[in-house]
Amino acid sequence: MSAATEDILEHLAAISFVAGRDARAALPAVASLGAAAAVRYLETGRDLFFYDREAGKGFFHATADLVKAFGGLDPWLEQARVFLTQRGTFRAAVGFFEQAGAVRRGWGVEGEALWFALGAAWIDRHVDSAASYFRVPTAVLFGDAGIEGLRALLAPADALVRSRLGLGTYLEGAIKVRAICGLDGVAEWTQRGVDVLAAGRARGEAWFRLESDEARGFLLEVVPGFHPGIHKRFFGLLLQAWTGLQPPLEEGDWSQEGGRGFLETDGRSLFVPAVMPDREEALLAFYHTGAHLAFDSYEQGAIRLLFAEIGMEHPPLDAEQRITWRPLFARFGEDLIRFQLIFDLCEDLRVDAALEREMPGYLARVLRASRQRTPPEGAAGYYYRRAMTMLEDGMAGRLPEDLAALTTAPAGIVDAFRAALTWYATTDLPPVSLSERARAYLPGHSPNAARPVYPRRKRASDTPEMDSGDAPGSTGREEKLREAPQRAEGNDPDTDIPPENIQGAGGRVGVGMPVAAKVTGRRRGVEGPPGGWPYREWDYRHQRYKENWARVHERPLREHDAARATTIAVAYDGTLRRLKRALQAQKPTRMSPRRRQYEGEAPDLEAVVQFVVERRAGRSPKADIYRQRRPQHRDTSVLLLADLSTSIMAEAGDSGVRVVDRLRVAMLLFGEALGEVGDAFALYGFASKYHDEVVLYPIKRFADKFDARVRALLGGLSGRLATRMGAAIRHSTWRLSESPGQRRLLLILSDGRPADYDDGGDVRYLQEDTRMAVKEAQDLGVHAFCVSLDPRGGEYLPRVFGPGHYLVLPHLDSLPARLPEIYLRLRGHSV
Amino acid sequence: MSEMKMAESNGLRLLFEEPFYQPVANEVGVFMAAWSRRLPVMLKGPTGCGKTRFLEHMAWRLKRPLVTVACHEDLTSSDLVGRFLIEGDETVWQDGPLTKAVREGAICYLDEIVEARTDTTVIIHPLTDHRRHLPIEKLGVEITAHPGFMLVISYNPGYQTVLKDLKPSTKQRFVGMNFSYPSADVETRIVVKEAGLDEKRAQALVVAAGKARNLKDQGLQEVTSTRALIYAGSLMAAGLDALEACTAAIIHPQTDDPELTEALLEIFRTFFPEQP
Repeated sequence: MSAATEDILEHLAAISFVAGRDARAALPAVASLGAAAAVRYLETGRDLFFYDREAGKGFFHATADLVKAFGGLDPWLEQARVFLTQRGTFRAAVGFFEQAGAVRRGWGVEGEALWFALGAAWIDRHVDSAASYFRVPTAVLFGDAGIEGLRALLAPADALVRSRLGLGTYLEGAIKVRAICGLDGVAEWTQRGVDVLAAGRARGEAWFRLESDEARGFLLEVVPGFHPGIHKRFFGLLLQAWTGLQPPLEEGDWSQEGGRGFLETDGRSLFVPAVMPDREEALLAFYHTGAHLAFDSYEQGAIRLLFAEIGMEHPPLDAEQRITWRPLFARFGEDLIRFQLIFDLCEDLRVDAALEREMPGYLARVLRASRQRTPPEGAAGYYYRRAMTMLEDGMAGRLPEDLAALTTAPAGIVDAFRAALTWYATTDLPPVSLSERARAYLPGHSPNAARPVYPRRKRASDTPEMDSGDAPGSTGREEKLREAPQRAEGNDPDTDIPPENIQGAGGRVGVGMPVAAKVTGRRRGVEGPPGGWPYREWDYRHQRYKENWARVHERPLREHDAARATTIAVAYDGTLRRLKRALQAQKPTRMSPRRRQYEGEAPDLEAVVQFVVERRAGRSPKADIYRQRRPQHRDTSVLLLADLSTSIMAEAGDSGVRVVDRLRVAMLLFGEALGEVGDAFALYGFASKYHDEVVLYPIKRFADKFDARVRALLGGLSGRLATRMGAAIRHSTWRLSESPGQRRLLLILSDGRPADYDDGGDVRYLQEDTRMAVKEAQDLGVHAFCVSLDPRGGEYLPRVFGPGHYLVLPHLDSLPARLPEIYLRLRGHSV
Repeated sequence: MSEMKMAESNGLRLLFEEPFYQPVANEVGVFMAAWSRRLPVMLKGPTGCGKTRFLEHMAWRLKRPLVTVACHEDLTSSDLVGRFLIEGDETVWQDGPLTKAVREGAICYLDEIVEARTDTTVIIHPLTDHRRHLPIEKLGVEITAHPGFMLVISYNPGYQTVLKDLKPSTKQRFVGMNFSYPSADVETRIVVKEAGLDEKRAQALVVAAGKARNLKDQGLQEVTSTRALIYAGSLMAAGLDALEACTAAIIHPQTDDPELTEALLEIFRTFFPEQP
């Protein structure tokens, strides 16, 4: 060792023990390069350490790797001096030293030079940006596009300097955008982003973080690939067909690690990414994730066993009653991701094999899709290829014994976990970093423990079959309880009554005439007997009626909005005209000749022949030998009863569209169509708050005209309170019985199951009462039919209304056009 | 499907060759018991699940002629009972199908009875109880049913008929038999036999239909019927590409909704991948 090097080392040690020790430790790596080189190296190190302690430490720590990667000191030693030009560069420096070796190995001299130059240029402009740049994992930064790709990625960033947008913010978004729609997309996205940024700082930043709707909207426009969001119904139908489950589909994260969109689940809902590479991958993802739900990856008993397996108590559920996975993996420390991936390999194998039994050819499809993609480089590639091999072996029956056991029907997630533990103990799979993880998954597959989950109940059947959840009482699906209506908004101004239970103990229960508690002075427009019309209610728990339990009041709606009614009429002009045309086209049949009349325009030939024949036979037949062309008197009357509870104010399906928006349109079109048909009809809304405040809102009575007043009321419809359906049905039945028609139809329009504030959370109570109300209506000659917007309607509607007496329209947008059509079909008149 | 040989005797159909019917449960036993006591029978079930075929099979088994009347909105009682016609200078009474069956001792099958006008259902009342009489008002007579006469009605409780339900008083006069789509094994056997399709494809067809039937609440008025499966199987057996056959025989007749169509197509595509 030369005297010069010894001097510098002593100097360093004198200033800082750590510096001396680190420098001395790093020195052997450069010793072979000669004394002059060692001096040059140490001088740079000393300068850096004196300038910034952390930068110096990073320098010394990375030396061995850097010398090895570069085969010497050039050019990195010179490059390192750039961090001496500005204060506060240590974070950038540490990032540089940590990653430069990998860049040199991965992208060569040229790549490293560019990577350095692009970052160094930012040191003068904005130190934090440089730090963000050097700290982005280079595998992510370069992506698949190589050196030129990096240049192109950074090129638009120069334009942002003037707008004072940090490079970190830009890169975070740009990398995702590049992964989603390529470099051209990045250029366009930045260009528009600059304009957005000029219009407002917050808006601009949200754009670059991909947090705003406008950024998402933009990407959806330009993004190549498949957008599952607009095909939600299609995927929902497929899930239902294959699994019998109808999980809600919600918007997922815009883009996952490395820009790959994953379909995820929390055991209850599916989170649909905005973009997936193609339709096939989206399909595989829905099938695979659906299979996780159907084959109990998130079943509560199994999860409990998982924790027992590692000798842990089942962790307490979080505030939302979900299980977090972290404790399960905690003991693997830094190697957590490797274990998670192995566990996912095992569990996915189990679930895929189970799915293959239901859906022959599924494994082959996954393999085909996997082969079409180039396997990722680096550690992730090992997992990707291993997953493919496992599928191939699984199909060929070559799996090792412990894995083969996972492909049999009785295997559960606990078996997969055990297999993963065994495998992990002897694995040859390399450790993998979080940034690489996303690439390790085959198409359609994703991290299984990505989100905390709502534990699911077990399927009843022992033989796993996907749609066995359909059997009554054995539903594998979770109830998403209808939220209790809010008290704050939309409350009926006429009521303010304290809550009461229906348990039949205490209170006013059973003490003669119930009287509404505090309805004072504000009974404007209130009709009927004081305290409302009393109706009985069925209590299934005691198998008897509670007499005079529900109180129904009729009150006029106060809100009206003629302007909105007009807007709707304009917006739906096309639909309405089509509907009317269809009805008019049917008029000839409606004007169909009435046979065997005593008078009319033309003879009814058949009747005439009959008449003559019978006369000849010596009988005296009736002279009903004419036919009349007259609108056929169908004699049907219909009462449309719309659920106006709070839930209709919620958005449903596509974002931004509330149930009430479509409800208004549907009722308006219904009214117009009925006017055209000429049937007697009435429109009522209903809501409730406790059993003695069931309110029916007459919008149009049978005797009323469908005029501007009615249209304005429909335009102003809004939601309030809860849904006590039984009482509303009983009252409507009574109203219908006063109507002129002979055939009477009660058409109920609802968006959820019956519920009220005082049902004590017993879902069944009001359902059973509704069922009885429907039965009573039937006995009185009133046919009840329910059109429901609740996608889970199939679970309870058959029991409440009877098979064939309901229709689920999970597709909200179709309601306006379908409602009149449904009615016409019911009355035996096709459109 | 095999041509069924039949004889026309006095305008009544007598089946010579056994119509294929695959029993699902004890429906044959129930029907035989009802027959032995001459009780009228009501067949309930969705479209295309084998109600008519079952009855043809039973008629063959009992060696009774079968008179089938497809009921419609304008069907009047004289369409069922009979009317006077002129022949030359004479008036001649002609029996309607019901009267013919009552006289000759046939099984009279009123298909989709709810479609007929309510007055027609009234005339069958006296035939359904111990009296077994058919009053013919125009002739001023009441004829007693032949011992071999049996009345069978069918009734499809679909949503189109909410307003056209049978009156309870009518329903209660019948022995009710519920039909639904058979289990996968049985349905496969039916498709193999009826469509002449190989077992492998028939099985795939049936499993796929099982999945498609899960969509019953999603805007489909009727789910995939066994009949539709037989049609699809027949088209395949005739050499049509499997997916095309399913599209033509199952999907298109069932729905016009584009998303439902696509979902159904995807289900069948899984079992019958398109040939590259």
